Amino acid sequence: MSVSFLKSNSKPFQLRGIVARLYSTRKGEVSSSDPQKDTIRRYLYPPNIRNKASPTGTWRPDVARALQRAIPSVQAHETIERAWLLHQRHLRKKRDAELQRKFNCMRQAMQELEEIDSRLFREANKQEDPRARSLAEVEAMKSMSEPEKRAVESRVRGLFPRELRIPTDTPPKNGWPNEWRAFQRPLA
Amino acid sequence: MFSRTVLSSCKRAPKASLLRGLATEASAVPAVLEVAQVDAALSKKTARPNLHTGIILNRSPIITRTPTAFEKAYYAYQARIHRALHNPFPYDFYFKQGSPLESRFNIEERRRERKAFGAPFGMQTGETSEAEKLAEATMRDEEEAMPRVHEADINSDFKNLQRRGQRNLYLLLQKQENGMAVWRFPQGSVDRGELLHCAATRGLEVECGNNMDTWIVSRNPIGVFHPPSLASTGGTEKDVVFFYKGHIVAGQVRPNRTHTQDFAWLTKGEIKTRVDADYWLGIKDMLSDF
Repeated sequence: MSVSFLKSNSKPFQLRGIVARLYSTRKGEVSSSDPQKDTIRRYLYPPNIRNKASPTGTWRPDVARALQRAIPSVQAHETIERAWLLHQRHLRKKRDAELQRKFNCMRQAMQELEEIDSRLFREANKQEDPRARSLAEVEAMKSMSEPEKRAVESRVRGLFPRELRIPTDTPPKNGWPNEWRAFQRPLA
Repeated sequence: MFSRTVLSSCKRAPKASLLRGLATEASAVPAVLEVAQVDAALSKKTARPNLHTGIILNRSPIITRTPTAFEKAYYAYQARIHRALHNPFPYDFYFKQGSPLESRFNIEERRRERKAFGAPFGMQTGETSEAEKLAEATMRDEEEAMPRVHEADINSDFKNLQRRGQRNLYLLLQKQENGMAVWRFPQGSVDRGELLHCAATRGLEVECGNNMDTWIVSRNPIGVFHPPSLASTGGTEKDVVFFYKGHIVAGQVRPNRTHTQDFAWLTKGEIKTRVDADYWLGIKDMLSDF
């Protein structure tokens, strides 16, 4: 609770003396003890303004002038939209064609593998259980130090590794980690 | 044709399947295979080609793609429309009144208005106060991000993994084959009873050292290649290379000097210039375009 004598949308002329007023509340609002809550409430539920174009008063005062500057004309706007959708379509088709080529390569490889060796084909098609640990892994983990054990456990079978970096706008400050301690992962 | 059905377990396409590969095969081969298939029932491996695994090791893009001029213009256009029409921004929720952060935000906001709509917009009301002058000073001294172009791009250092951050890079090794230096993906043989993806991991380690944190994506091969069979080895020996996709996450290649002379991390276009024509035809569809 803070003290205000004038201004900030309170009713100064009707009151005499010192009255405790909250800076966060305005005329006609229920005031709680938390000013932040009041601000949030005011922006989530704006009061109705009946004499303006938009009932919740959501536009900027010079919206017409700003829009005139932003949009050249109706025809120009529609042309831009169509050009963008066409561009997106080109990108989509290219992406789909690339994926189709890759998939066909994979299908060809699996067909040939099936003809060559059925056991290898079956093993290649096996679904990987993320929680399973192969015999080789269990054997290897018995003689590993704690950090090495953690390294093995963090690489979950069938999932992307956490270290695979998502592209950002600028490269990392430390560059590429060229020095990596050689660690033998037990073959699954 | 009867001997073939003895071999096959379920669906097996007719003889044409043998000729379906990408490499050209000698016409004498089927005749030789017919003889071999008579005792194929006894030993399965006679007609079976030699298996090899190749590894397509990919360094994924590090930075996002640069938008084209059209995309940039479109994004700017949409940003202007949004700026004209958006709901009022809750300034007093985010910025305490009179704080230097608020002054700095106001300066930046006025600049953005002027840039979006032109001169009459974004005009300053009142004179610059002390807080604003301080805010402008801090904006000038701010630290900059790393540049998107690395020195490896300028120097064309093909071994550096920070070159061409936007593109997918693939590992290529230079090997000696029949006295000629050829560029290929890392390759390894498959032992008896060994699974293909294990053979891929092992082969990569043998050829490129174990100073890399790699991840082979799945148990499935992503492609197959039939190297042209040499006349010296005879028509019966056939090789098949199954390719596996892997990602490098950390580390660098330390090539095994006995097998390989050189290595390079190349984009798809650069691979095309270095690799033989028939090898390129076999591998081009497995690689990412960008």
